[in-house]
Amino acid sequence: MMRPTATLRIHDDHVTLAALGARAFPLLAGIGLAALALAAVLGAVRGDGFSYFFHSYLTNYCFVLSIALGALFFVLIQHATRAGWSVAVRRISEILAANVSVLLVLFLPVLAPVLLGSHALYEWTSPAAVAGDHLLEHKSPYLNVPFFGIRCVFYFAVWWLITRFFLRRSVQQDHSGDASLTLSMERFSGPALLLFAVTVTFAAFDWLMSLEPRWFSTIYGIYYFSGAILAGVAAIVLAAAALQASGRLTMSVTAEHYHDLGKLLFGFVIFWGYIAFSQYMLIWYANIPEETVYYLARQTNGWAGVSLALAFGHLLVPFVGLLPRSMKRRKGVLAFWCVWLLVFHWLDMYWLVMPNYSPDAGPPFGLIDVALLVGLVCLYLASAVRVAGGEALVPIKDPRLGESLALENF
Amino acid sequence: MAEKEPTIADAPGGAVAALVAQFAGPDELVEAASQVRDAGYRYWDTHTPYPIHGMDRAMGIRPTVLPWMVLAGGVAGAAAALLMQWWMNAVDYPYIISGKPLFSLPAFIPVTFELIVLFSALTAFVGVLALNQLPQLWHPVFQSRRFARATSDGFFLSIEARDPKFEESRAAELLQSAGAVAIDVCRMPATGREVPTGVYWGVATLAILAILPPLGVAWYRSGAKKLPRIHPILDMDAQPKYRAQAFNPLFPGGMASRPAVPGTIAQGEMDENTALYLGKLGEQWVDEFPVPVSMEAVQRGRERFNIYCAPCHGLTGEGDGMVSQRATRRAEPNWVPPLSLHAEPVRVQPVGQLYNTVTNGIRTMPPYASQISVEDRWAIVLYVKALQRSQHATLDDVPEEMREKLR
Repeated sequence: MMRPTATLRIHDDHVTLAALGARAFPLLAGIGLAALALAAVLGAVRGDGFSYFFHSYLTNYCFVLSIALGALFFVLIQHATRAGWSVAVRRISEILAANVSVLLVLFLPVLAPVLLGSHALYEWTSPAAVAGDHLLEHKSPYLNVPFFGIRCVFYFAVWWLITRFFLRRSVQQDHSGDASLTLSMERFSGPALLLFAVTVTFAAFDWLMSLEPRWFSTIYGIYYFSGAILAGVAAIVLAAAALQASGRLTMSVTAEHYHDLGKLLFGFVIFWGYIAFSQYMLIWYANIPEETVYYLARQTNGWAGVSLALAFGHLLVPFVGLLPRSMKRRKGVLAFWCVWLLVFHWLDMYWLVMPNYSPDAGPPFGLIDVALLVGLVCLYLASAVRVAGGEALVPIKDPRLGESLALENF
Repeated sequence: MAEKEPTIADAPGGAVAALVAQFAGPDELVEAASQVRDAGYRYWDTHTPYPIHGMDRAMGIRPTVLPWMVLAGGVAGAAAALLMQWWMNAVDYPYIISGKPLFSLPAFIPVTFELIVLFSALTAFVGVLALNQLPQLWHPVFQSRRFARATSDGFFLSIEARDPKFEESRAAELLQSAGAVAIDVCRMPATGREVPTGVYWGVATLAILAILPPLGVAWYRSGAKKLPRIHPILDMDAQPKYRAQAFNPLFPGGMASRPAVPGTIAQGEMDENTALYLGKLGEQWVDEFPVPVSMEAVQRGRERFNIYCAPCHGLTGEGDGMVSQRATRRAEPNWVPPLSLHAEPVRVQPVGQLYNTVTNGIRTMPPYASQISVEDRWAIVLYVKALQRSQHATLDDVPEEMREKLR
């Protein structure tokens, strides 16, 4: 329901980053680059041919990437459903999504060694490992270096096109107020969701599942997606809360928006558990050695603790925590759960990647992991600040903005 | 609009049941609702074509207990599912599936999840109806003719006479001062509130019809019947052909089945080489392998032995396989433990006799001819001979260069 008083509220609100962006960008970029340099030095000191560095880098890269992909999915689903409630936070998610060019550059430390013939990360890149291994030989028409590179280019191209399309149309509307832009975004959201599904699924297969090239799980792409949407929505909540703490968007984003974002988080907490359990139960039940090897590695040598931590921290605890209405309506409490979910989503990425590095020695952790996390997150945020620029942080001329500002949960 | 005196319509009838007041729009109704709330009425309600933000607060409606009911329903669903599966699978009919424990939580999660959803959804559905006192076929406010507009463009507030504070004149005054544009007095009708007798007859007829199928099932199941059972869907059960042992007057003796012509051999069963297929030459068991003896054949035999034989005979042939151990432990009455393959009576058997045992079975051992090919049966016999040799080897069997190590 649109009320004239609500649409006026936006004119009194502080909706641009303005000077904050100019101050934050060099700080974030500087910290990010320094942390990455520190991580590279720490990786070199280990003297294991950068093997630990690459595995930890992939963990943290997939974590940061999932935030951007989750935010992108959020944008697409709002257009596909013609949602009115979410307009007030849609620009934030558009900005969080539209960092593909920086994410591409940050992907080079994973891609370049593969192209240059390093086998530190992916066993299937080594012809010596493939030769004589029936399964790897069978998969080699797909799992080979040139095709891997082509697919990576394809994923980034698709993501770049989609994020750019939605951000540019949306910003264009801020200036022109043209309602037909909304219609064109709605029309493209369907095909964009299909492209998103295909690219995220295969990116998860290529970058994470192929760490164990003999193992396979058709649900793997959805597993990565389910964590990504959680991370994306959590990041949107935290970004909105941080902007409000800095005196921005104080009148545009209300407890009603946090409540609805909290409902999405709650739903996708269960979705993640559903997907994770679906994968686990089929493999556990069939008990076929070539499939159980994945969970065996994650139940032995100290990894069982990480697996249990995920079952509780990623599903059961936030399920109970996000269940009450009051938890979702209070900004501070919801922000706590968002941080909680991001921590456990990071642990999930760690759980996907690191058992391949040390299946026998147990979960490794060191300063290098922290440095890489700080470095990648800071560079990602620096990019987001640059993308936001001087534009409004709310789609100020979206035809459904009034509906969003007047949102009320019954 | 509020300044204009509202029209009060009063139709003839019994005692006053409710007052229905119409308001000009949603904002006026919200304002009126807060006044009625402050006046302390309990049995009253507002009726609008669409949900109005802020109406809950204006009416002073407390948060609903429905979420707690749904939570209780979900917990009950989880408990019911786990209890049911535990009872069925671990107590009433213990049955090992896929080597999992009898009470195996991961396997029970899907059913538990579904029952949580089912119980929660049904609780929500029934709870919404119960909390709203639905279905309610008749209500005094239906007496007001203008009330029909509550589903298109009218905004109404009704106060019921059963409210302890209700007093017609004071309630009407309150509604007037709250800005009602029209007030209808709804009275209990003298007649016309009874359920038509046709409804009772209809329900009774349906109840009787619903009882018939279970009665029929109970009658058919309550002992032997001479008639064949009712067979509503024939599928391919009845076909124009003769079954084995059926009568056919065309043939001598009335036998529908035709005996095979003497000397007929089915495809793939031309087994003239009795040494190979039966393990016999004449009446004598063969003592030489009718197949080539090679290391590959021994390996193949070991693989087949471990699949087909080891469950009872054990991997070494001692007769200590898992099946045998379990049957012995449970003291199964019909169980005959397998002889050790290293026992004297087995060791002296010619290979043909061993082959015959694999092919046709012996005592409780079933025949394996249908599962294991002829070549594989011979390979198993070959491996059994190797196993026997391994337990009764002499120093002469050990290669020269390794004898020193054994001393």
